[in-house]
Amino acid sequence: MRTKLIGLFILAAVIIAAAAYAMFTRKPEVTQINGYVGGEKIGLLEDTEITEILEKKYHLRMDYAKAGSLEMITADATGRDFLFPSNQTALEMYVKEKGEPVQSEIVLNTPIVLYTRKAVAEALTAEGIASETAGVHFVNMMKLTEYIEEGKRWADIGLSQLYGSITVGTTDPTKSNSGNMFAGLLANTLCGGVADTGNVDAVLPRLQSIFQKLGYMESSSADIFDQFLKTGMGAKPLIAGYESQLLEFAAENPDTWEQVKEDVVMLYPTPTVWSSHVFIALDEAGTVGIEAMLDEQVQKLAWEKHGFRTGLYDAPVDVEHFGVPGLAQEITQVAPMPDAAVMEKIIAALSM
Amino acid sequence: MRTGKRLLAVLLLIVLSAGVLSGCGFRGGDDGSGQKFAGFGDKKVLRIVSGSENAELEPILEEFEQKENVEIEMTYQGSLDIMRLLEEEEIPFDAVWPASSMWLTMGDTAHRVKHAESVSVTPVVFGIRQSLAEELGFVGREVSVRDLLTAIRSGKLSFCMTSATQSNSGASAYIGFLYALLGNPEVITSEDLQSDELKTQVRELLSGVNRSSGSSDWLKDMFVEGDYDAMVNYECLMIQANKELEQQGKETLYVIYPYDGLSLADSPLGYVDNGDDEKEELFLKLQEYLLSGDVQNKIQQTGRRSGYSGISEENKSVFRTDWGLQPDRILSPIRMPAADVIEECLRMYQTDFKKPSLSVYCLDYSGSMAGEGNVQLVDAMEQLLIQENAQKNYLQASDDEINILIPFNENVIGAYTAVGAGDEIEGLYDKVEEQETGGGTDMYQAAVEGIHMLEDYDLTKYTPAIILMTDGQSDGSFKEFREAYDQLDNNVPVFSIMFGDANETQLQKVAEYTNARVFDGRENLTEAFRAVRGYN
Repeated sequence: MRTKLIGLFILAAVIIAAAAYAMFTRKPEVTQINGYVGGEKIGLLEDTEITEILEKKYHLRMDYAKAGSLEMITADATGRDFLFPSNQTALEMYVKEKGEPVQSEIVLNTPIVLYTRKAVAEALTAEGIASETAGVHFVNMMKLTEYIEEGKRWADIGLSQLYGSITVGTTDPTKSNSGNMFAGLLANTLCGGVADTGNVDAVLPRLQSIFQKLGYMESSSADIFDQFLKTGMGAKPLIAGYESQLLEFAAENPDTWEQVKEDVVMLYPTPTVWSSHVFIALDEAGTVGIEAMLDEQVQKLAWEKHGFRTGLYDAPVDVEHFGVPGLAQEITQVAPMPDAAVMEKIIAALSM
Repeated sequence: MRTGKRLLAVLLLIVLSAGVLSGCGFRGGDDGSGQKFAGFGDKKVLRIVSGSENAELEPILEEFEQKENVEIEMTYQGSLDIMRLLEEEEIPFDAVWPASSMWLTMGDTAHRVKHAESVSVTPVVFGIRQSLAEELGFVGREVSVRDLLTAIRSGKLSFCMTSATQSNSGASAYIGFLYALLGNPEVITSEDLQSDELKTQVRELLSGVNRSSGSSDWLKDMFVEGDYDAMVNYECLMIQANKELEQQGKETLYVIYPYDGLSLADSPLGYVDNGDDEKEELFLKLQEYLLSGDVQNKIQQTGRRSGYSGISEENKSVFRTDWGLQPDRILSPIRMPAADVIEECLRMYQTDFKKPSLSVYCLDYSGSMAGEGNVQLVDAMEQLLIQENAQKNYLQASDDEINILIPFNENVIGAYTAVGAGDEIEGLYDKVEEQETGGGTDMYQAAVEGIHMLEDYDLTKYTPAIILMTDGQSDGSFKEFREAYDQLDNNVPVFSIMFGDANETQLQKVAEYTNARVFDGRENLTEAFRAVRGYN
């Protein structure tokens, strides 16, 4: 009985001492902010080197739910501190729907590219749809769109092992950013310049028929890219995505990349469009997120490990770092995306 | 608030450390946060709801459990059930693992799933008994869905498939059929589905389905045990089935990849974010393990296409070409229709296209069912019979289907028949509700009564099944049941739902004899009834 009591006293003493210790040595609070993030940036936000900088330097931890760039604009943002969509149109739409956010900033950029396999790239090159200059592959959007609209089949360009007609697999343009931007790019192509409120109506039916042929569409850019790599050439012969996706994959999985790099080809559309990743702070807590994302070290890691070009379009980059053949040093042939009003028309047409 | 939590955690940690000192067993959380910890001897548990095809990967999961000293709790459901589960407010699982990412995306409209990545890929294919495949001229050449349809129409081929509204393999095959019957359009639209001609053709085609099931792995088991010509299933389960058939000295299946109706199951494993960091960490560890080179290789040895660069030389022998397997084939699937069209396709399958079901429900009203047991039974039947409820799970009745209700105790209490999807079936519910409990239990007599009632129908026009629900040791004899069953001379499955103190051995015997299955309704009777309904 006695020893038990002594034991209890000791325990109580230890508890008090430990509690006091915990109170006095407490580190500065780490604020947790949470928001909606486009699937393609998850690797970046999960990067422990980056989360460490965020925690140590900015006392910040980011929690997120994955959502398409356009979905997140209309979604219920109660309790969310930020939105991190992948284009500026999303910001324009946000302003229109909900007013000016507390703060917003483009923190990263990456161009829209097409991904395909060697055999398909060769067939496209033979047709004059794709071409190669100094090791970088380009795709003539005008010509590719012609083939798609004519309903040409893969077999017609010598790929009889592929079933069905030539299409570019994309995410759902009404829900996800890469699909949405590709729709913008196609609208530009069909309009023969940047689509605007004056000329877009005329091409909407054509755009609808191109997308209708796709049937079921993924709603996340990360999912479609994962499928492109894993389900092989038959399932996803040609998809639209971000340049950053392949660079991140190569940086994160160097061994796997060695195995597949001979077969995977990145095609730069001429012209392409920039996917500008805008960090939208919905409250004060969220604004620290902008500051943190623009941190020099974070920006460097964002490129080297995740393939995002920096917030400045023309900042020089080291392309050798990735060991990805056909990575362009600079993205020179770029057209602006159609503006929000035009994109809204496009989305409305594609939602039908 | 945070500080408060922190303090509490520190205090608890100390108390628990004292436990260690005094020799009690304790494993603390090692995530360094100090905010969470496992209790005395508790293992971390990851609850995964998964398509049944992954049951074949259990040995690989067990290795992880042992290595990490954690527990993985697998619950198997059809992929479409998983989709509907994701639409619910509460998801009582930490991870989902459906057969195809399509269902994950369609169900996860609230974006609670993250880290989803494909673990392996396998196509949905046709497996036909080798000699029959040869006879039909399908060996060694490219086969179209139309070729298969011709064989089915001429009565030369009948097959088993899972229910298109419950399971991915069934849904994929069904949509493949629709494409072929519509003359291979670019993509199926809602308008395409409205044609009467299509309706006639699909019905004719699905009349060739001689056994259905709610999940792919069980379809494989049933196929191996039974005596059927062909099945639609995953390539990996065809390989498994053939291994088992070969072991039993039975004829193996020849695998056909219909070039204009192929679909792929990409098996995505995703984390359900319920805000528990420790679970998330465990999930990521499991995912990393499954995607590691070594484990991907093991997964490939089970007949799944894993990794990025095709099937390795060493594993080619798993994909036996003499079974029709094509390890080097470029798998070029059809395009799935848009999500809303898929939903329309599924609804039509359930109400217009599939072979009507003929279900005999033998329900236990013995004295031991009084009170809570009876309440649960009435609730469960409400989910099936009241059509507004059934619809939510794509289990609504079709216009031609027949439902028979046989309440029993030590005797058969009555027998009520309902035709179609209207008042009659909802009238059965009134009977279920009104019937009082009392007396002993003899499920055999009830089953025999059910068998006699089936004798009045042309069973080739229906998917028949008897469903026995009982909560206790049954009197009567299996022999009596067997005699009646043999006389019927039809492979009607007699499913049973175990409840209360039911004798599993008795039920298992009936299930084995009729190539059916026992469902456990002890934890959730409604779920058990739903699952059984998914089989026909």
